[in-house]
Amino acid sequence: MSSLKKQIQRWGLRVQALALGLMAIFTILLPLDAQALPAFARQTGQNCVACHAGGQFPELTPYGRMFKMTGYTIGERTVPVAVMGVVNYANIANPPAGTAKNAEVVFATGSLFLAGKVTDNIGAFTQITYDNFAVDNGDGSFSGHSNADNMDFRFANHIINDKQDWIYGVSLNNNPSVSDPWNSAAAWMGYVPAANLKSHQFADPQTPFPGFGSGGNIAGLSAYLFWNKTVYAELGSYRTADQAFSFMSAGVADVDMHKLDGSNNPYWRLALSHEWGAHNLMIGTSGMIAHVYDAGTDTSDPANLGQFRNIGIDAQYQYILAPHTITAQLAYMQQETAYSDNAGGGISGLTDMNYVSRAKVSYVYQAKYGGSLAYFNQTGTTNNQTDPATSGFTYEAFWIPKQNIRIGAQYSAYSKYQGGSTYIDQTSLLSRNANDNNTLFLYAWFAF
Amino acid sequence: MKYRHILLIIAMGALGAGCSSIENSRNLGNPNVSAKTLAAQVCSNCHGLDGNSISPTFPRLAGQQAAYIVNQLTNFRSHQRLDPPGPEYMWGLSRHLTDEQIAGLGEYYSKQEPHRAPTTGADPKLLAAGKEIFEKGRPEENVIACMACHGPKGQGIGSFPRLAYQHANYIANQLDVFQNTQGRPGTPMDAVVHPLTGEDKEAIAAYLQAFPD
Repeated sequence: MSSLKKQIQRWGLRVQALALGLMAIFTILLPLDAQALPAFARQTGQNCVACHAGGQFPELTPYGRMFKMTGYTIGERTVPVAVMGVVNYANIANPPAGTAKNAEVVFATGSLFLAGKVTDNIGAFTQITYDNFAVDNGDGSFSGHSNADNMDFRFANHIINDKQDWIYGVSLNNNPSVSDPWNSAAAWMGYVPAANLKSHQFADPQTPFPGFGSGGNIAGLSAYLFWNKTVYAELGSYRTADQAFSFMSAGVADVDMHKLDGSNNPYWRLALSHEWGAHNLMIGTSGMIAHVYDAGTDTSDPANLGQFRNIGIDAQYQYILAPHTITAQLAYMQQETAYSDNAGGGISGLTDMNYVSRAKVSYVYQAKYGGSLAYFNQTGTTNNQTDPATSGFTYEAFWIPKQNIRIGAQYSAYSKYQGGSTYIDQTSLLSRNANDNNTLFLYAWFAF
Repeated sequence: MKYRHILLIIAMGALGAGCSSIENSRNLGNPNVSAKTLAAQVCSNCHGLDGNSISPTFPRLAGQQAAYIVNQLTNFRSHQRLDPPGPEYMWGLSRHLTDEQIAGLGEYYSKQEPHRAPTTGADPKLLAAGKEIFEKGRPEENVIACMACHGPKGQGIGSFPRLAYQHANYIANQLDVFQNTQGRPGTPMDAVVHPLTGEDKEAIAAYLQAFPD
């Protein structure tokens, strides 16, 4: 017990030291104002609101999307470094026994970004993230660990004159749809980083979001084009991020690696976009077929090889005219999991289906005060998995006191969890109510 | 497999280097990039290739007076123009533009053909009130007719900007900036807007966007 206390004190001190450190950085950078921003802002000299809708990063404005699609090359080369830190607090209505750090303020994650223009046609967005709770030491203490997070290296060209308007490019990235410019894409719709803790397991970032079965930290190459600011098409393929691509999974333990079979794991995306007045709308679809070995298994044994087939539909609407920003996102993703023979318990051809729907509307006033309402719903078959049926709402209010600081509160209320309004907790094997999991989640998010 | 991918990366690099052309550059720190290229590769993202922007956040520049554009870019560059579009968008973009590039951008937009934005059912009474102020002002209340400086067709002259077809929202915001802030110092507008009421500003803005023939 006393060692636990010491540990808590130590973490407390670390959080305090971090807060002081951040305050010091903040104080130093404050007088620089427009210069005191992450790498891309320094590159263009613009404020966050130029590229992020109502300042709510990471959601991009139409201009932000053009910045991304043209390969992060607008502006001038500068020091391509930025840092981000997230402090969290999660309070579960009825925490399961032994839930560590419930209702405690914790330093969740910190990221280092290397991002910016390299040449007139080449740019990069790379993120390395430190997870403060990567390893549970089992004695109440945790060890931190860093690994490669989102990475997107691009070549892009923009052919624009009075006869034609084409953006085309190539993206080398490590997460399917991280290359996508819209926020309803799987890699972007979930946005607040949450601590890797059991007390955060029901917070909004852990509620069902559309995603690809392949997971991240894999290596993919995609080609894309955007015609006349109307049609966006992207086609790519992924493989394991090993050998020459191992930097894209750096820090990920071998047992946690997403290992794909070969390089024929296609990803595709098609979207239609239209802008009128202060409004813009996108309707799109995406999909992926990934041949993935069960985590931590022998990749020379074909009985460990499963397949994920994803098909998604998504839409995004934005109204951006100061002082108002209204945005809405709708995403649906279905996933067919074809289990490996081993994961299927020796039964060949066993499959399950998962369906995730997510809708979110947000409003931001003066790029300072905002709120959002999100609905999530997941259903699926139960051939070889626990009933995944989970649904509920997340209510959020946030405040952006300075453009690079966002403080928010999210309350996630569950009507169903793992099958119904009551379910059996897989760890304790006790029955719980879905609404026992209702979680108040607070975050403070800094980027410099 | 390994070598195939290394080759791919090298090929990508070569492609990047090979296709890198100053004609398609988005580099705002290179004085050798022409104004026409900057207009197409950078400015067009918000203002439209021909300066007829879609979003009212961004002013329409088509047919704008070259001298006015030069003044604004120069004032953004020196941070003399302090209203929100300055720090939010334009200070950074203009920070290293050369006088030659700025002059070129002025010339480029002045030669583009202005189009009327699609207007949806502006209130005829508001338009009539706007027209009245634009053409005649209200001398008894020291409200000066806009066309006295901005021209009978709202086309502007020299450093007096073109106003016809401008987004109503942009006009209304700028009238507020002149009336209530020191965001755009050194223009006669601070005094000109002084007697305008909220309704006047709304009427002028609606009329200028529609600018009926």
